Amino acid sequence: MRIKVRYFARYRSLIGKGEEEIEVPEGTTVGELVELLKERYPVLKNEVFADDDLADVNVSRNGRYVRFDEVLRDGDVVALFPPVSGG
Amino acid sequence: MLTQWELERYSRQIEVLGKEGQEKLKNAKVAVVGVGGLGSPVAYYLAAAGIGTILLIDDGFPELSNLNRQILHWEEDVGKLSKPESAKWKLERFNSGIRVETFTGRLTRDNVEEILDGVDVVVDCLDNFEGRYVLDEYVHRRGIPLVHGAVEGTHGQVTTIVPGLTKSLREIFPKVRERKEKIPIIGATAGVVGSIQVMEVIKLLTGLGEPLLNKLLLIDLAFNVFEIVELT
Repeated sequence: MRIKVRYFARYRSLIGKGEEEIEVPEGTTVGELVELLKERYPVLKNEVFADDDLADVNVSRNGRYVRFDEVLRDGDVVALFPPVSGG
Repeated sequence: MLTQWELERYSRQIEVLGKEGQEKLKNAKVAVVGVGGLGSPVAYYLAAAGIGTILLIDDGFPELSNLNRQILHWEEDVGKLSKPESAKWKLERFNSGIRVETFTGRLTRDNVEEILDGVDVVVDCLDNFEGRYVLDEYVHRRGIPLVHGAVEGTHGQVTTIVPGLTKSLREIFPKVRERKEKIPIIGATAGVVGSIQVMEVIKLLTGLGEPLLNKLLLIDLAFNVFEIVELT
């Protein structure tokens, strides 16, 4: 199935594009998609996502905040955004 | 009751908020926690709007490298006054009809009850989540709203926490790695995010429009992104 992934803020700069469509196996969860993206873009693995804790990335699915165990469906739009802490 | 001077000073916004709305701003006490990049525009516009009492909290002193964004601090303040004191003297000259209170120091679990006592709305202008969680816990004990904002580079985020109605800040951002290095920031980014935080305060106090309850506004000014994520 095809998923549209959108990259926000720091992720967009690191990856070099705002969005893309990618093919993932049926039944892929949000957490598995994040793992897949880490393989595809090592820069995310090294600079952004903590190795031990997925909570360092915020994810929305079709405009709603999601947990990592949710299963994706064909045509979903998934957005990844980093936590921002400056003031 | 609003004075004749207040009716004139705020005449252009009374057209939007009504006299009742303006009186609500006058009777309110709002805490600005962090008087830096976000705290500068936040305190400035709260003062402009006629918030009756503004409490400024920060433990830092203005540095030259702050001035690209911390527009309430000027070159003459560097190395002299604390950030709350630096902001206070300008805000009092800007609007003589409001009260500006200060606390120079760090908010902790030990002192937050005393320092924020009597505050109607807390505005989060901090630069770390450790302090934000202290605010989050406090507003949940007291049942008052917290307007969260954060910025980095050209992007930022805003959401409003109302105990009982929305998720807590910790539920939304359960674990954030603190960044040790200096966070890059263009001043105007803080100006945009801080201005939106002030609109949240005005909406909460007057009932105008719809605050960002269970909605996280994400902004990236480099790529013209204004996106709302539903948090429910």
